[in-house]
Amino acid sequence: MPSLTVTSRAAKVMRDQLARRGTPQACIRLGIRGGGCTGYSYLFEFEDKPPRANDLVVEQDGVKVVVDPKSLFYLDGTEVDFETGIRGHGFKFKNPNTKDACGCGESISF
Amino acid sequence: MTSVSIHDTGALFQIAEPTDQRRAQRRPGRGIGIDLGTTNSLVALAPHGAAPRVLRDSSGSGLVPSVVAYTADPPLVGRAAQALQAEHPAQVVSSVKRLMGRGLADITFAHPYHLSEETPGLLRLDIGSADAPRRVTPTEVSAAILRELKLRAEAELGEPCDGAVITVPAYFDDAQRQATRDAGRIAGLQVYRLLAEPTAAALAYGLDRGGEGLFAVYDLGGGTFDVSILRLHKGVFQVLATGGDSALGGDDFDRALAAHLLKKSGVAEPSRHQLDGARLAARAAKERLTEETVTRVTLAGLPELELTRGEFEALIEPLAQRTLRACRQALKDAGLRAPELDGVVLVGGSTRVPKVRELVAEAFKRPPLADIDPDEVVAWGAAIQADILSGSAREGVTLLDVVPLSLGLETMGGIVEKIIPRNATIPIAARQVFTNYAEHQTGMVIHVVQGERELARDCRSLARFDLKGIPRLPPSMARVEVTFQLDADALLTVSARELMTGVRQSVEVKPTYGLSEEEVDRLVMDSLDHAGDDYARRNAAEARVELGRVVLALRTALAEVGHLRELLPDDERARLEAALAAADAAMADPDALADPLNRARTALEKVSEPFARRRMERALNAGMAGKSLHDIERALADDEALHEKRAGHTPELLEPEEP
Repeated sequence: MPSLTVTSRAAKVMRDQLARRGTPQACIRLGIRGGGCTGYSYLFEFEDKPPRANDLVVEQDGVKVVVDPKSLFYLDGTEVDFETGIRGHGFKFKNPNTKDACGCGESISF
Repeated sequence: MTSVSIHDTGALFQIAEPTDQRRAQRRPGRGIGIDLGTTNSLVALAPHGAAPRVLRDSSGSGLVPSVVAYTADPPLVGRAAQALQAEHPAQVVSSVKRLMGRGLADITFAHPYHLSEETPGLLRLDIGSADAPRRVTPTEVSAAILRELKLRAEAELGEPCDGAVITVPAYFDDAQRQATRDAGRIAGLQVYRLLAEPTAAALAYGLDRGGEGLFAVYDLGGGTFDVSILRLHKGVFQVLATGGDSALGGDDFDRALAAHLLKKSGVAEPSRHQLDGARLAARAAKERLTEETVTRVTLAGLPELELTRGEFEALIEPLAQRTLRACRQALKDAGLRAPELDGVVLVGGSTRVPKVRELVAEAFKRPPLADIDPDEVVAWGAAIQADILSGSAREGVTLLDVVPLSLGLETMGGIVEKIIPRNATIPIAARQVFTNYAEHQTGMVIHVVQGERELARDCRSLARFDLKGIPRLPPSMARVEVTFQLDADALLTVSARELMTGVRQSVEVKPTYGLSEEEVDRLVMDSLDHAGDDYARRNAAEARVELGRVVLALRTALAEVGHLRELLPDDERARLEAALAAADAAMADPDALADPLNRARTALEKVSEPFARRRMERALNAGMAGKSLHDIERALADDEALHEKRAGHTPELLEPEEP
């Protein structure tokens, strides 16, 4: 069974952002999109519509993160975390499906 | 191995607003259509699917003379500028369209301007006076005309316009088109797109609705004649051939008639003044003869004359015949005969002349379409297109802000390589480099597909063409750059170019043609339902391609050097043949999954590794004989560069043309 985990820290930030946006009940959609400037890229956005039938819905501390079944092949086992650091604050995707990163760290492949 | 790469800056992500809310905001009903002509320009509106309407001045005229007078700041445009032409010839610019996008070397025709070219390719007109020199580019002059038309449209709309469709001649090259686009931008217009004048005329008549057809557009203006042959295929207009005469038009009819009138009046050597008067009278008589068969003409100070339509027609027939020769040539260039056409459209005021219509009907063997005012028909088409691009709903037209289904190419093994992803905002362009699979491969089939599935056979096939003339190079060494360009009108242009020889080939398709919203939904849902299956099948197809590549490389090596015992002892050869047989067996099963194929490949690679190493050493020894260390190092560096070149082929998004 494919899975995705969201850390409590990430869920808290999501909850805060959803509340600030005035849509506490909305979901967060995570996916993989073809294209982007060096191949595939992450899609990470607010989702105002209810989850679709085939979506994986992960609920963590009251926040729903949804992933479409196709993206899930590339996201299985990913942990969504939130990091604060000198490079700024933001969500981090720890994706075990990425095989090797190239030297510059710009692109990774499965 | 699934060789997709994720763009990951190792970075931290922020949650974005949903894609469909980030789409470019268009303002339906606020697009304007502009016919930017050599002599006259027009602006038309067709808001929210309404019939097009050309905007008129207080005197009822929709034609704005394409004349700009730099006697004031801001400059005067149109009739007001025209009135100053005789008094200030240096400051009043007309017919600037002929200079658009041109360098000094291109200007081979007579013109009254003082031109300079300090920056190569950037022409300037001297419009200053003796005490205040001033230079403007043709683009700036056109921008002044466009600004006037924009103001006219905004006065009518009562609010700022969103963007414009500007028409250009079908034969305009890239530089001329870019100059026109730039003029729009300087005028403060968002140029949705440039539209070929004959295509605009065809759109005005709704000829696009049929989906398929062949049309001729006969455009006889005041000073120029153009003929274009268009092919409509799956809703896309393509210009098959153009022809014409840049120095033939209704003005020549006037000149011929004026000379005739003066001769009839017995004036052998007319004064400048008499000549001008005769031209005006001739023009008015020509217009009257459209409705009447006989008319009366009075030249100043001379007795009244009677003029019949027959006399006029005899005068202009040689001129009209010249246009027909150009038509026949254009048909020939397009590889067509007149009866194959589905329609002929008349454009330009001079096509009102009954004799012209008659001759065109004879030449094309059908009555031409002439219901729409031929002066306004191009602006009509531009207005319809602009209304669609502003986001208005029009009957039978759906305009898209985003790509409804991914667009890609079929690659080895029937795998789809997506080039433009679903939901990307349009206009968009992306390009990717592909390589050859085998050494003897000198062509590549470019199969353009649409859909979300992983294998081409499950996607919609949009177009297919061959790129021939790829040089014979080792596998993965030829480089074919494929560009997908989807314009604002959702017209997809796919072009493929071999980077070493430059051979290229392209095709235009409309991905939305014959595709309903339900169909899009179904195709997307299908891909979700088949996600698991597709993933396995894609992996299997990729494994099959990889295995095939290794088998092919090994068989090639065996054929070349397999007979040399020092490279391949008999027992090793036997093991190799066995592994090859196993690989063949694995590939023989058309439904084989990735695992057995990958196992066969690993086994084959393992057993052939010593043979590969010996071949490499032999090549190195042969190569190094008599070479310095420097040469070898350089060769290694080249090899590395080569390796890098082979590796990088992921799609690259191109900068949009418009910011």
